[in-house]
Amino acid sequence: MTRYLLKRLAFAALTIFAALTVNFILFRALPGDAVSGLKCRQCTPEFKEAQRAALGLDQSLWQQYVLYLKGLLHGDLGNSWRPPHPTVWSQLWDPIKRTLPMILLGTVFSVVIGVSLGLLAAWRRGSMLDRTATGMSLAAYSMPTQWLALLMVLYLAGWLGLPTSGVKDPDLEIAQLLGDVGWWELFIDQLRHMILPALAIGIVFAGDYAIITRSALVETLSEDYVLTARAKGLSRWTVIRRHALPNAALPIVTLMALSLGTVVGGVLVVEYVFSYSGIGLTVVQAISERDYPVLQGAFLLLTVAVVFANLFADLLYPKLDPRVVLR
Amino acid sequence: MTGPLLDVRQLGVEYGARRSMIDGIRRRELKGVRAVDGVSISVSGGDLVALVGESGCGKTTTAMSIAGLVPYASGSIIVEGHDLSTLSSAERRARRRRVQLVFQDPYESLDPRFQVARIVREPLDVHRVEGDRDALVREALHKVGLRPAEQFLHRYPHQLSGGQRQRVAIASALVLQPALLVADEPVSMLDTSVRAGVLELLGTLRTEGMGILMITHDLSTAARYADRICVMYLGRIVEEGPAHEVVTSPKHPYTRALVAAVPRSDGAPRDHSLMPAGETPDPSRMPSGCRFHPRCPVLASGEAARLGIADRCRGVDIELEPEVGDHRVACHAVTVSITTHP
Ligand SMILES: Nc1ncnc2c1ncn2[C@@H]1O[C@H](COP(=O)(O)OP(=O)(O)OP(=O)(O)O)[C@@H](O)[C@H]1O
Ligand SMILES: [Mg+2]
Repeated sequence: MTRYLLKRLAFAALTIFAALTVNFILFRALPGDAVSGLKCRQCTPEFKEAQRAALGLDQSLWQQYVLYLKGLLHGDLGNSWRPPHPTVWSQLWDPIKRTLPMILLGTVFSVVIGVSLGLLAAWRRGSMLDRTATGMSLAAYSMPTQWLALLMVLYLAGWLGLPTSGVKDPDLEIAQLLGDVGWWELFIDQLRHMILPALAIGIVFAGDYAIITRSALVETLSEDYVLTARAKGLSRWTVIRRHALPNAALPIVTLMALSLGTVVGGVLVVEYVFSYSGIGLTVVQAISERDYPVLQGAFLLLTVAVVFANLFADLLYPKLDPRVVLR
Repeated sequence: MTGPLLDVRQLGVEYGARRSMIDGIRRRELKGVRAVDGVSISVSGGDLVALVGESGCGKTTTAMSIAGLVPYASGSIIVEGHDLSTLSSAERRARRRRVQLVFQDPYESLDPRFQVARIVREPLDVHRVEGDRDALVREALHKVGLRPAEQFLHRYPHQLSGGQRQRVAIASALVLQPALLVADEPVSMLDTSVRAGVLELLGTLRTEGMGILMITHDLSTAARYADRICVMYLGRIVEEGPAHEVVTSPKHPYTRALVAAVPRSDGAPRDHSLMPAGETPDPSRMPSGCRFHPRCPVLASGEAARLGIADRCRGVDIELEPEVGDHRVACHAVTVSITTHP
């Protein structure tokens, strides 16, 4: 077990290293850089050269790469290129604090909606209910995220009375400055801003969960041990709860770990539509400004999160299925 | 108690052909497959009855509807004198306890996430059996030869051999103390070396008064362990009688072909000549008349014509009719020869 863990950790380190190298190259493969886009009166070619030198862009790619790695080894993600050059870490921390709970809520939405849909479909396989549920899952699965988000802004937000942009009510912000706001009020306000973006992500990914759950359940429901349990007199629902669903949990957990990476793609779009200043919006802004250090930092964190989510899922498998032995 | 433990009469089971959405829109009626078509079997306490027949003839379907897993369309299933169709669902649940099923594949029939103790205990919990359930679990394991029981309680199915798994499956059926055990090809997935052990176990249970219906492909197994043999062909029993008689003097041409094809201990060559290839039977295209007639050697050789029954074979369906005593056959040729040469 310890050996397995060490092996996996070494492999994780390797994966992260490869990913950050690819990121480093990819961002620089984009045409233009942080300086070429500048437009101002004093932006003469000489001024631009000076700026480049200040950011280290005049050095060769290789030199820049070595510098970047050196920084990382000291836990230094670098500084943003945007004046006044705050550290990348301070740039990312606040957005992460807003995005993380939103992704969590979104995942809860998608698991609850998706697993229930998949369960219904598998339970009444071949019926009208199955076709409706499967159709809905496929629709959710193939729906463009931004389109769904816009529809929600247009139709759902007003009806539910939820805010459609930002992370905080401006009135509340002023009240907070005056110092007469309870933490409960703040919490509720944050939650209200979070619900629609989370729901958009939740619905889009619910399709994945529904399809995986249905197929996993259809498979376990056709197993002999399910029939055996029925023959012993268990009710249909008890059989699903006690035998079929736990045995179908493996692919569902795998999907949870794997989808973390794709969810971030959805976050980018959703935060843009809802002007939700989380990590997605930060990345969008950093791309338009060619702020490489911030991009590198954001994608490094994402890589680490995905790698560790998968490691965690692997460690969970033996708990879900005693036949799995970690070696 | 008088009468048999299990009395299946004229059982008919249909699988509805799946209707696709297109069929629904076009209002096309699809005919179901009649997988079991008028099966009658009875099993008494202390009886081991073997149900023999080739693949797809409806053996598993019969077993499943006896266990209440597949609804039946016609006929009746009478367990210890109670007709299942007339019972309320609560009563049926209680009845179901008296009939337990053992599946063919012990690698599939045990939940891989459960330890042996929990697998064997689950039926007791479901039926809220009074008393020390853990003691009952140990007793059942002991009975099926997993001794000492403590050594097996906390193992997962994948930590057991195939033979041991099948014993666990049997233990989880026995723990409810059923009157009847239905075993669907209980040894066909097992290594030859452990088959005898499991079959001996069934034999022991029978001598203790349990009724056993054992489904098998293998006529020689049936001949060796069963008291009675029912031969099934395309959803119906075509011959039924004491095991020894069915094997030594088969009457139905299908049984004769099966017996001739069994490997012989004296090394005599197997004889497949009696079983003409014909078309493989398919319950969705049931032949008219006697269901065996398209493959029947009696008809093919012209003997039926000589007896003057060829038209009857092709046109008139036939059910089991007593030949001598409790040996019954569903064959026009046999019926005719009895009536003409008494
Ligand atoms: N769920 C089902 N839906 C539709 N048809 C089915 C279903 N299960 C079985 N059948 C059909 O019913 C017939 C009888 O099947 P059954 O499983 O009872 O045969 P069997 O005698 O047990 O065969 P084997 O020896 O291969 O186990 C077959 O023609 C099969 O195709
Ligand atoms: Mg079968």
